[in-house]
Amino acid sequence: MRPRFLLGAALVAVPLLLALCGPLLAGPAGPRAVSFTPGQGHWLGTDFTGRDVWRQVLLGGRPVVLVALAATALTYAVALPVGLAAALTRRTWLEEVLMRPLDVLIAVPSLVLVLVCAAALSPGPVGLSALVALVAVPDAARTVHAGAVEVAARPAVEAMRMSGESSARIALGYTARSLRRTLAADAGTRLVGALYLVSTAAFLGVGVQPDASDWAVMVDRNRPGLDLQPLAVLVPAALIAALATGTNLLLDAALHRGGRGARR
Amino acid sequence: MTSLRSWTGRRLALGLGQAAAVPALVFVLTEALPGDAADALAGDDPDPRRIAVLRAAMHLDRPARQRFLDWAGGLLRGDLGTSLVSGRPVTRYLADGLAPTLLLAALALALLVPLSLLLGVLAAGREGGPLDRAIGSATLAVYAVPEFALGVLLVSVVALRLGWLPPTAVGGVREQPAVLVLPVLVLVARPLCSISRLVRAGMLAALDAPHVRQARRHGLSEARIRWTHALPNALAPAAQQLARTCDWLLCGVVVVEALFVVPGLGTVLLDAVAARDVPVVQGLAVVFGLFTVVLNLAADLLARRLAPRSEAAA
Repeated sequence: MRPRFLLGAALVAVPLLLALCGPLLAGPAGPRAVSFTPGQGHWLGTDFTGRDVWRQVLLGGRPVVLVALAATALTYAVALPVGLAAALTRRTWLEEVLMRPLDVLIAVPSLVLVLVCAAALSPGPVGLSALVALVAVPDAARTVHAGAVEVAARPAVEAMRMSGESSARIALGYTARSLRRTLAADAGTRLVGALYLVSTAAFLGVGVQPDASDWAVMVDRNRPGLDLQPLAVLVPAALIAALATGTNLLLDAALHRGGRGARR
Repeated sequence: MTSLRSWTGRRLALGLGQAAAVPALVFVLTEALPGDAADALAGDDPDPRRIAVLRAAMHLDRPARQRFLDWAGGLLRGDLGTSLVSGRPVTRYLADGLAPTLLLAALALALLVPLSLLLGVLAAGREGGPLDRAIGSATLAVYAVPEFALGVLLVSVVALRLGWLPPTAVGGVREQPAVLVLPVLVLVARPLCSISRLVRAGMLAALDAPHVRQARRHGLSEARIRWTHALPNALAPAAQQLARTCDWLLCGVVVVEALFVVPGLGTVLLDAVAARDVPVVQGLAVVFGLFTVVLNLAADLLARRLAPRSEAAA
């Protein structure tokens, strides 16, 4: 799977570098020019409010990447304790109380859930990452739970219990450690999903200001000028597509390497 | 047989529980979380008179439990309430937006099912062969791309640069059926990738199963083995994924309708969210949620029928 790995790395590199280093290179905002002009001192032309598109591209990657990463981290901060506790407890009612509500959460389509919350609250970036995490928690918690149930049945866990080890040590020190490969793979899937949902929500105007420097917002707001100044839409759209595709290809390549048993 | 029946019973109970919980969840999310929905509704310009009118319209002076019971009772009678913005019943919004969305979804499904079966069976033809690798890479790559990014890229190339297809659906479907081509393509892209990968995996597993090897020993033709003996076993996971994918189709419909200016349910939902028209948002979310619950229930029951030995989640 080597070519797939290289392709993924190449696709991720450009948007990731832009997202991480772009804001440092952006420099101060210049004076506003006419909307949707190609060229004229602006390398990628101007956007719907006459701002320099290149500067917006430099600034716009960070929110997408950071919110997606934060959402993934938050997903696991909730899913890991819930899944582990439900799997390791010997009280059936506790397992039911922890896992059954997730069956309900999973029933509502994810984007609809995000939009419903957005109608009542006006989430900022923090709220958006919390919403995206909320949508991802049921799947992640189920994965943790399913893996941990299997580990919890091992004699080693029984031995640890009988020798009086604390439940935190059994849960984190043994169970979570044995599951780290499964969890890493699942976290990668969640990251791809979070990138999708974060950028789609931003495109639909959830969790962002209407003139925010954000690749997804740029795609949405510059669409009216698509035939005058296509670069203002195509560059951010291509960057988002490359970021998402590259992450997925990298994840697949890493999984295949793990699957063949190669040590990293 | 008894185990099948008790499994079906448990699955039905889960579905019923989900169906009952969806309205509760929607209500909690839209009404109980913020301090006061009327303040949020009034927006940037909190005019006390408008807030008072909104409070009266939403019956905010009554306790939340009472409001929920009234609203849920209305749902049972098919009364979803009235819009805060226009005063029209929410069911009218649903009726107006239903036709374009159903058309999009039906076309997408009609294209999705045969195409994903075809791609999956083709890829499973020779595991690790060039065709399998090409399909595998392409589906992995497209799977992750959000609909809006794929959509604008397609629009700018196919519609604006080449001029082959209209860039939006503004012209109307009846006058110009070509407006539907790009939206349906964008809608189908992601689910096609995930389902064809599952069909491929299911086919590979099924082709390795004892009954298929037995069929080979009997000298059945490869095509017949593939399509009539292996494929049905590969369908069970694919049917379940198809139902999960309807979640994506719903998300996709919202984005695609916004992108191509289709006046369907997704556009109604987005407009209601922008206007903070809570009853319309609630009504649509409940309908979408119930639809998903019923679909997943049907898919799980179907999967159990197709492959009774497999352990379907319940």
